[in-house]
Amino acid sequence: MSALIDPSDMLAPPAGNSFPQAAMAQMERMVQDFSRMYRERNDALDEVTNAHHEALFRLSLAADLKDDDTGIHIVRLGYMCETLALLLGQGATQAEMLRKAAPMHDIGKIGIPDGVLKKPGAFTESERAVMNQHAQMGADILSRSRIPLFQLSAELALTHHERWDGTGYPNRLAGEAIPLSGRIVAVVDFFDALTMDRCYRKAFADEVALHMLSAQHGKAFDPRIVDIFLAHSADIIATRDRVNQNHPSYSDLVAGR
Amino acid sequence: MKKILMIEDHADIRRLIRLTLEITDYEIAEAADGSAGALLAQAIKPDLVLLDVMMPGALNGLQVCRLLKARSPSTRVLLLSARGRSEDLEAGMEAGADGYLVKPFSPLQLIECIRQQLAEVA
Repeated sequence: MSALIDPSDMLAPPAGNSFPQAAMAQMERMVQDFSRMYRERNDALDEVTNAHHEALFRLSLAADLKDDDTGIHIVRLGYMCETLALLLGQGATQAEMLRKAAPMHDIGKIGIPDGVLKKPGAFTESERAVMNQHAQMGADILSRSRIPLFQLSAELALTHHERWDGTGYPNRLAGEAIPLSGRIVAVVDFFDALTMDRCYRKAFADEVALHMLSAQHGKAFDPRIVDIFLAHSADIIATRDRVNQNHPSYSDLVAGR
Repeated sequence: MKKILMIEDHADIRRLIRLTLEITDYEIAEAADGSAGALLAQAIKPDLVLLDVMMPGALNGLQVCRLLKARSPSTRVLLLSARGRSEDLEAGMEAGADGYLVKPFSPLQLIECIRQQLAEVA
């Protein structure tokens, strides 16, 4: 039988700078066990988070497929929001969070009837009211999670239709009362939606869309974000074209490829 | 990768800290006394220094802390000490330390403290 620790070793006073060898070996084993459990716990948490994220991402894709037959819009949105956030001076970690969270901002559209969502002409007042519910619905779906990424996407879902001038929905927030993340997504979503083909119209040219964006300076959108967007539109459009070319998958989006 | 320098005279404690931090992504260097630690800090410019307060030799932990902070105020210093009385903590803060961990500390406490210190840097 091999004793892990010789009791006389434990009782012996530490010699000079050192613990008894057997006690030290025992402590090392405990630290190693701790490390293994810590790593396993973190891996398990990552796995759960990823599974949760992927499920919600797929659901967002389903919502997006209702009005874009490729589903690439929400992926572009993620990457373009990241680029714009970096240009606005946000940290890399924050911008990366936005890349992962932004594709889910319209998840609430899953609950909007096709008859409203795909209506070609103008909405009636009651149709408009139904359509506007997607912001709150998305926030309800996403905010159940305590994971920071989904908290951020819930914030985006709730605030991406607020307007800088306070006339947006659902809460008529104005100016900096709208979270920065929501203000960023609003701008990118506007631009990307204009420059893609819709069931009821062809895509606008980039220059036309940029012009329409500048017209909303300080009205629908945060003037600083519009300024930065216009000043660096080539970078943002390059990000968009890269996504269109490479068609990043869900795992690419998470890994930032 | 963030760099951590530990200055600690007990070889066993250095070994345990190194083992604890193996699960993190930090690059770790070590020195066994204050003078060697101060020299090494100049050479490798660590983001964080784990610094034992009571060390034999020409420089104790508090003196090393003052020196490090005078040379590079942005370097974070986390003091490690068996003395947890408020006077000791105050002496540490007065020497410019950013944090104080009382021995014996648990592995999670150490990891959490380091993470916090380095998050403030980034």
